[in-house]
Parts: sequence; C-alpha cells; structure tokens
Amino acid sequence: MKKPLTIAIAAATLASTAALAEPRSGGVINTVLQPEPPGIIAGIHQNAPTQTVSGNIYESLLRYSTDLEPMPQLAHRWEVSDDGLVYTFHLNEGVTWHDGEPFTSADVVFSTDVYLREMNPRTRTILAHVDSIEAPDDHTVVFSLKNPFGPFLLSFEAGTMPMMPKHIYEGTDFRDNPANSHPIGTGPFKFERWDRGSVIQLVRNDDYYEEGLPYLDGINWHIIPDASSRAVAYENGRVDVLPANSVENFDIPRLSALDNTCRTEAGHEYFSPFAMLWMNNREGPTADKRFRQAVMYAMDREFARDVLWNGLGNVPLSAFGSNARFQDDSLPPYDHNPERARELLDEMGYDGEEVRLLPIPYGETWVRWAEAVQQNLREVGINVRTQSTDVGGWNQRLGDWDYDLAFTYLFQYGDPALGISRTYISSNIAKGSPWNNVQGYENERVDELFDLAATAYPDSQREIYYQEVQELLHEDVPVGWLLELGFPTIYRCDVQDLVTTGIGLNDGFKNAWLDR
Amino acid sequence: MLYARLIVMRLLKAVVVLFLIVIFNFFLIHMAPGDPAAVLAGEAGATDEQFLRQLREQFGLDQPIYVQLWRYVSGIAMLDFGYSYRQQMPVFDLIMARMPATLLLTGTAFVLSLALGILAGSLAAARAKKPSGSLIMALALLFYATPLFWVALMAVVLFSVYLDWLPAYGMYTVGAGYTGLALALDVGKHLILPATTLALFFMAIYTRMTRTSMLEASQQDYVKTARAKGLSPRIIQRRHILRNALLPIITLAGLQAGQMVGGAILTETVFAWPGIGRLMYEALMQRDYNLLLGIFFFSAALVIVFNILTDLVYRLADPRIKEAS
Amino acid sequence: MSFFARFAQNRGALIGLIILVTIILMAISAPLFYPESPWRMVQRPFLPPLEVDGFPLGTDTMGRNVAAGLMHGAWVSLLIGLVSTLVALMIGVPLGAVAGYYGGLIDDALMRFTEFFQTIPNFALAIVLVAIMQPSVTSIVVAIALVSWPPVARLVRAEFMSLRHREYVEAARLVGQSNRTIILRQILPNTLSPIIVLASLMVATAILLESSLSFLGLGDPNVMSWGYMIGAARTVIRQAWWLSFFPGLAILLTVLALNLVGEGLDDALNPKLSRERS
Repeated sequence: MKKPLTIAIAAATLASTAALAEPRSGGVINTVLQPEPPGIIAGIHQNAPTQTVSGNIYESLLRYSTDLEPMPQLAHRWEVSDDGLVYTFHLNEGVTWHDGEPFTSADVVFSTDVYLREMNPRTRTILAHVDSIEAPDDHTVVFSLKNPFGPFLLSFEAGTMPMMPKHIYEGTDFRDNPANSHPIGTGPFKFERWDRGSVIQLVRNDDYYEEGLPYLDGINWHIIPDASSRAVAYENGRVDVLPANSVENFDIPRLSALDNTCRTEAGHEYFSPFAMLWMNNREGPTADKRFRQAVMYAMDREFARDVLWNGLGNVPLSAFGSNARFQDDSLPPYDHNPERARELLDEMGYDGEEVRLLPIPYGETWVRWAEAVQQNLREVGINVRTQSTDVGGWNQRLGDWDYDLAFTYLFQYGDPALGISRTYISSNIAKGSPWNNVQGYENERVDELFDLAATAYPDSQREIYYQEVQELLHEDVPVGWLLELGFPTIYRCDVQDLVTTGIGLNDGFKNAWLDR
Repeated sequence: MLYARLIVMRLLKAVVVLFLIVIFNFFLIHMAPGDPAAVLAGEAGATDEQFLRQLREQFGLDQPIYVQLWRYVSGIAMLDFGYSYRQQMPVFDLIMARMPATLLLTGTAFVLSLALGILAGSLAAARAKKPSGSLIMALALLFYATPLFWVALMAVVLFSVYLDWLPAYGMYTVGAGYTGLALALDVGKHLILPATTLALFFMAIYTRMTRTSMLEASQQDYVKTARAKGLSPRIIQRRHILRNALLPIITLAGLQAGQMVGGAILTETVFAWPGIGRLMYEALMQRDYNLLLGIFFFSAALVIVFNILTDLVYRLADPRIKEAS
Repeated sequence: MSFFARFAQNRGALIGLIILVTIILMAISAPLFYPESPWRMVQRPFLPPLEVDGFPLGTDTMGRNVAAGLMHGAWVSLLIGLVSTLVALMIGVPLGAVAGYYGGLIDDALMRFTEFFQTIPNFALAIVLVAIMQPSVTSIVVAIALVSWPPVARLVRAEFMSLRHREYVEAARLVGQSNRTIILRQILPNTLSPIIVLASLMVATAILLESSLSFLGLGDPNVMSWGYMIGAARTVIRQAWWLSFFPGLAILLTVLALNLVGEGLDDALNPKLSRERS
C-alpha cells in the first residue's frame, strides 16, 4: 500500500546522487504557499505555512530522513550517554548567520533555553524534561535531562527546535523585534523580500557551509488565495511545485496525469497527519463508551479515503498512526458495520437525542467529509445536526468544550510522547485550546502508562507500555480515529530530489535541483 | 458659495455617520466567536495558556472592551487605523496596498455598466414599440436576474477552460515580471472577465432605468413644446430628454456604490482578484479586528463621498434646481 | 378591467407566473419524486447527466443525486426568500409609516437611522452578521432581513408623506380617529400595492443573497440550497460543469420569474403608469 511506495521513492531520491544525472546548479523554483502566513520568523508562529518557509531559512541541529533517522545538519556528530540522560552535540565549524556573524554554541543555548521556552508551546513541553543546557566550548552543546526521554533526539527539527541568532534576539521583545522584518538564519536560503499578498522570495545563500549546496538560485512562494487558481497556475507553467493541500483533492488525479508531472506522498513522515473526531466524553450521548464505539462502526472510512482523499492515506489500526513508532497493528479493527452500531445504540438505550457535528473549516474536502459522516451516522439512527463555523468559531467551541462531535486533524510527530499522549492524558485537560485533551478523557492507568513510557529506557521497555495503552484506548474510544492522511506533493518531473527528508518541502529545497 | 456650504454640511454629517459606523461595527465584530489569538492558535497545531496569553497581551485584547473601544476610536480620530497583527502591517498601509485593485475593478465595472447601460437604455427607448427594443429589455432582465457568482463561474468555464482566450484568475501573470506597457496590457487582459461579470448586473439596472426615465421624460411638457417648435428629434433626444432622464440615473448610480462593493467581494473571490473585498472576507475569518474595522470604515467613507459627488453632479445638471438657487 | 385581466395583459408577467408556479410545484412535489434525503450518497460520484436512469442531472462529488438536490433546494430557496422578506417588511413598514406620517424630528431621526444602514455595504454586513450568529437558516434569514429593510422604509415613508394630506385623512382626523387607527385603517391599505410590488422584487433579491452566502460557504450545512450546490461545485468546475450549471439556472429562472411577476403586479395594481411604460 502506501508504505512501500514511500520507501521506494525515498530510497530512490536518497540514492540520487549516485544515480543517473549529476545535480546541476542554477534555476529558480516557483511554488505556492497557502494560506499566507502571519509571519515567517521561526518560533513566533507555528503555522504550517510559516514552517514551510522558515525551514529553509533557519535550521536545527539535525535533520531526519523519511524513515525518521537523524541526519547531521548544524551538528555533524552527536552522542547519547548509556543512561539516556546526556546528549552531546558537536557543531559544524565555520558556519555563519546570513548577516555574517559566526554561529556558535551560545546561539544554541540561547535558542533552546531562552527563546523557544518562551515562544513555542510544543517545544516547551519537550524542554521540560531538560535539566540544563551547557556549552563547554564554541562548538559543543550538552543537554542534561532530568529523566530519559526517548523522543528527545527526534525533536531537533527545523520547526520544533530552530536555531535563532542570539546577537539579534537576546534581551529584546521577541515578537516586536524590528529585525523580524528580515529573518536571519543559518540555512541554505536567505530572505530576499515579501510582497504581502503576492510573493515571498528567498535567494541562495552563497556562504552556506555545505559545499556546493544549495543547487537552486532561489525559491518564490506565490500567494494565490484560491485553490482552483493554484491548479491553473501549475497548468500554465507558472508554478513548478504544488505542496500538499494547495489544491483540492478532487483536482489531484487530473493534475497528476499532466505531462512532465510527478507525484509523491513522502515528506510528511515527521508530521504524521492524523484526522480524528473529538467526542465529548463529558456530557450527552457521547459520554457513553458504547455510543463512541457505535460511531466508529457506523463510519465508512474506506469510502472517505477513496472518494475524498483519492485513495491516499490509511484507515488507522489503532490510536497510533503507522508512521508513529510503536504502533500495534494487531488490534481488532472497527470496520464499517452499521448493524453492530445499531446493536450498541440499542444496548445503551439511545433515545434519539440530537448530537451536533462540527466540521473543520479547512476547505471543501473537510466539508464533504462532514456530510459523509453525517449520513453514515443518520443511517444507524443517530440524530445528527451539522454546525457551520469558521476557524475562529471552531477554535472557540473546542476551547469551551461546546461541542458533541467535532472534526480535527493534528500531527503525531513520529513518537507517541511528542504528539499522541497529549490527546489522552488527563493532565492535559484545560479550556482554551483545541489541541489538548479536548474530549475530557480520564483514565488513570492510561496516564500512568504514557508517563512511564515517555521516560522509559530502552525502546523495548517503551514498547511494552505503549502496547497496553493502545489496547485500553482501543476499548474506550475516547476519540474517533478517522484516517491517517496521505498528503501528495505534485511537481514537475524535472525537479529532482525535491523530497528527501521527513518534513519534505519544509527543508527539502536544499537538495533540490532542476534538470533543465 | 452655496455649494461650498452644502459640501461642508454634508462632510460634517458624514463624519458623524462614520463615527457611528465605527462604534457599531466595533461591537458587532467583537460579538463573533473567537478572537485573533484563538484563530492563530487554531492554525498553530499546538497551543497552551501561555501562548494564548502572550498573543492576547500583544494584541491588546486583555483589556476590557470599553478600553479597547476608546483606544480604537481615539486612534481613528488621529487617522491611525491600528495594526494588523495577523499581517504584521499597519492597517492603513494594507488597505492602501489593496485598494487600487478594487478601485480598478469597480471603477471599470461602473464606467462600463453606466456607459453601456445608458446606451442600451436609450436604444430601447427609441425603439420602444419594436421587437429590437423588447429584445434589449429582455436581455437586461436576464442579466438582472442572473446570480453574479454563477455567471462568473460560467464565464471562467467558457472563456478560460474551453476557449482559453482569457486568464481565469488574479490581476497579473504570476512570475512573469512584466513592467510598464506590458504590465498594463497583462492587467487589462486579467481585468476583462471580472469587470464584465461585475458590470452585467448593474448594466441591466441602468438599461431599465434609462429606458423608463427617457420614456417618462419624452412625455413631459417641455418636450412637447420642443416638438411643436419643430426641433429635430435627434436634438430633442439629446438635449432635452437625455439630460433630464439622466438625473434619476445619477441618483441611482450613487446608491449603487454600496452594492458594488458587495459585488466586488464575490467577484474578487471567484477570480482571486487581490482587492479589499477579498481582504475583508479573510479579515473576518481571521478575526483581524483592526483590519476589518478599517475596511468597513473605508468602504463606508467611499460610499459617502460617492453619494456627495453624485448629489453635486445632480444639482449641477438639474436645471430646475439651478434656477431655484 | 379586472385585476387578473390587467395582469394577463403583460405577457412577460404571465410567463413569469408560469415559471414560478412550476418551481413551487417542484418544491412541493420533491418528496414525491425523490423521497430520500438529497444528502444520501447513492451512486458513483461525478456521473454526467443522462447517463444513468433515475439520475437525469448526474451526481455530484460524493455521488449524490443532483436532480434530488435541485428539487429539494427549491423549497429551501423559496422559503428563505419569503420569510426574510416578511421579516424585512415587519421592520421597514412600521418604521416608514411612522416616519412618513409624523414627519418632523421623528422623521429626521428615523431617516438618519435608515441612511446609516444604507451606508454600510449590505452584502458585507450580511456576511458579518452570519459569521457572528454562525450559519444556520435562522441567522441567514435574520441577516438578509436586516440588510434589506431600508428600501421598504423609504418607500413606505414616501407613500405616507404623499397620502397624509389627502382629504379622507383630514376627514378622519376631524372625526376624531386616533393616529394609530388612521395609519392602520386609512393610509396603510392604500400603500399596499407598491409594497406588494416591492416585496416580490425583494423575494428575488433575498434568494440571490441567500445563494451568494451559501456559495461563500456561509449557508446552513443541514439544508441543501441551490447556492450551496454551486459553492460545492466550484472547485470541481473543470471536471463537472453541470454541478454548477443546473442550480444556477434554477436560481436564474426563479429570480427572473419573480421579477416578471413583480412587473405584472405593478401593471395590474397601478394602471396609470402602465400606459406610459408601453
């Protein structure tokens, strides 16, 4: 299915330096960005489009392959102590910021200890495991953890742990710093200009520390607010690369069939996008486990995958996606079984109470999906009323717990401790966020297991805990697991080596080259 | 001198109206669920209380609503329209950057609809009893009844997808880097479909109005007198009928300004035209309060100014008022 | 000449009436022809028209029957158009009546209020109102009514201003009738004709407004309206042009019919002007 294809593409692209053609320097890639990000300074904004651009300007200590194996970036070598508590990174020498200042370990300490702790909620949680960050010399950084934390090595990604220039940001108000109008990073591309509503332009960093890289002269991200317009831009040759979610899913088969057009589903392994259905565990019919199980049996997830997502993606086998580590794929699946759903509803005595369904306002595909699910549920006798809302309203309702069933999709970040546990642990129940334990699920054993597993060492021990947790979650169904999403990137075949990492385009332009 | 006093009075009144609009919209917009911090958090994929709190402090949303209102209104009084934290730019600059696109679109549509509408209407009036006259009126009715966004979509399908004569989206060719005359031509080519579809509806209105108005005018006494005097029909048409028939049209045109701004929202959406109509919709979805209020302010100001202008033109053109003063 | 005779004289109005009746019949008979919910996904998606029996207009992106959606949508569009117009009348008529009858300061204040509403571009205001109330049939009706009432108020005011000095009104005053009685019993009945004509045009505008809102995605997600169908079809316009075409045609015909009927009503109720129109 999907996995072998991904691996095949990844293997092919990784091996391309030894393959047919020699990479050639030169050329500018035109692509699109949607929606226009509020800013492109890493850390200040966590939106996807921000990371797409900032990942090419800023870098972290490591990069990750499509198999989520760590690769060198700003750090060329690293060691983990036997007890899993001390991580030592050896930084590249001769690296400079785009303004010419040298990059040193002091920047790393500043970025992680001060800047990211202040700015990035997700990184804050990760850094909570860190006891101290020290720089014994200009090119060495040592992280000492309070407890072993399995996914720590997986956190050094350009969007999660970007390195920021200390000499620009130290002691300033990060959000209001005047330097924010001109990002300065260490990455392969430098910021050139941003015409609001029109284009963001990056140009080649001629002083980049990796010899010969980047091959490209520049990247232009065009802001085209309309999905159909973006498709037309590609057809007319104005744009060479269509990142994931830049065109409607219905257009993808047609666009993929055009001349000189290639498609890949790789490049999102790090994010592992996962679509879910929040089900309010606190009140209403959704508070009953049997109702939630009935919902799982009622939904035709294969139909959604085939009709709405072009057959891309997978029906999830458990609460853990297949890209996340430690997935248990042996649990009895919740297949499309309306009969079983009706049985469960009868058993719990469902009286036809109205249940509200909140779609996620991210575009046509999601609206259609909500309609499909509404139909699925109606067919087993659940009285569903769909609510319509925009991003602001969706946020508000979830933050206030004012919903019964609600669509969402989030990133699992490759490791259960990074992106999955946050959904299920009771300490993460707090109003105001649509990204925590929104459904209000409380299970002491689950809390305990996630806690143990995050800090257990080595991996085999973690696996035991995660196995048990998945069984519990599978039975309790605190949320509905919809699909592991497959996001295709469409591009002209003469753009080589476009997706070589687990975050795809976000830092991939470094290795890309044009075969023209 | 009389006109000067008139203009001043109208402007003063306009200021009061604008002020009230600002307050009304301010409360209205804050009634929408969610705020800009919530929207940003929603797009971030991860958030916590500290993140939300930081954002709200930065946006000034942690203050009580009356303080926020006072801040905003006192800013407006100094022509400071606030800052869009979403777009990281002063609201005034943002609006000025996108305003020309909308002015180009609505201006072209306005001129087109007025010119063609009056022309078609006079033709229809002149051939009132003939089938060609009825045909024009039938077409006008058809255009009037057609939903704007639908005709825009159908135009895209026909002229862009099937015939490939005209571009379907945007204001200029992305990545082509045209300047000068080439740019003007490029923009012109992109302008054809949006301006025409926006103009169709209003063209229909002016056609019908012109015809009715001209027929009514032709029944008036002064026309009968002119005919009796033996003046040629063409001169009667032009000098007497047309001039007087135009008066209600001018008034109507003034009232249409507001509707055209609304129509621009739909047109800009379908054709991805980078104007303030589309910006308004995005600002609403992003709960970008300052930007949204700014856009409302400017469109209301535009409508008011336009009304004052048409009123002036009306007074200048209407011989009865001229004589009275 | 009777009312109907005058109405029938206008051929356009007759055509309009026929179309309108057809659409109303379509709305009423929808459950007969297509008893299942139009939301049911019943066939292969993207079926072109006339390819499969029972699907004369094809299927949409999810495999739903377009013809069923079209017929059920008629009901939605007509209902929303009618109800929002009624609500707008309920706001505008009293306001206009009071302003036109009493004049003076009351008139001034009410007119400033009306002008104020008219200065805000009404589609933009409708969008904001729906966004605040979150899209549903109720919020759409309220939003449309709130942006559509000013022309009603103006018209009613103008009528009242011209009628309040008529002899029968003076006579009623002399007899001692209260102002309220005069407004309701004497003047209002004589303003019904222009109000009815305006109302028919307003229903047309309301239908256009509702479809525009639904097109932008601000419609009630539980009802399949024509505007919604066009909006949903927008992104697949290259693969399936018929998904946008037929609902748009339906809107066009309905609005056209309402306008023609409105003109016919105008002719029938105000015979003096109709002579000049020809």
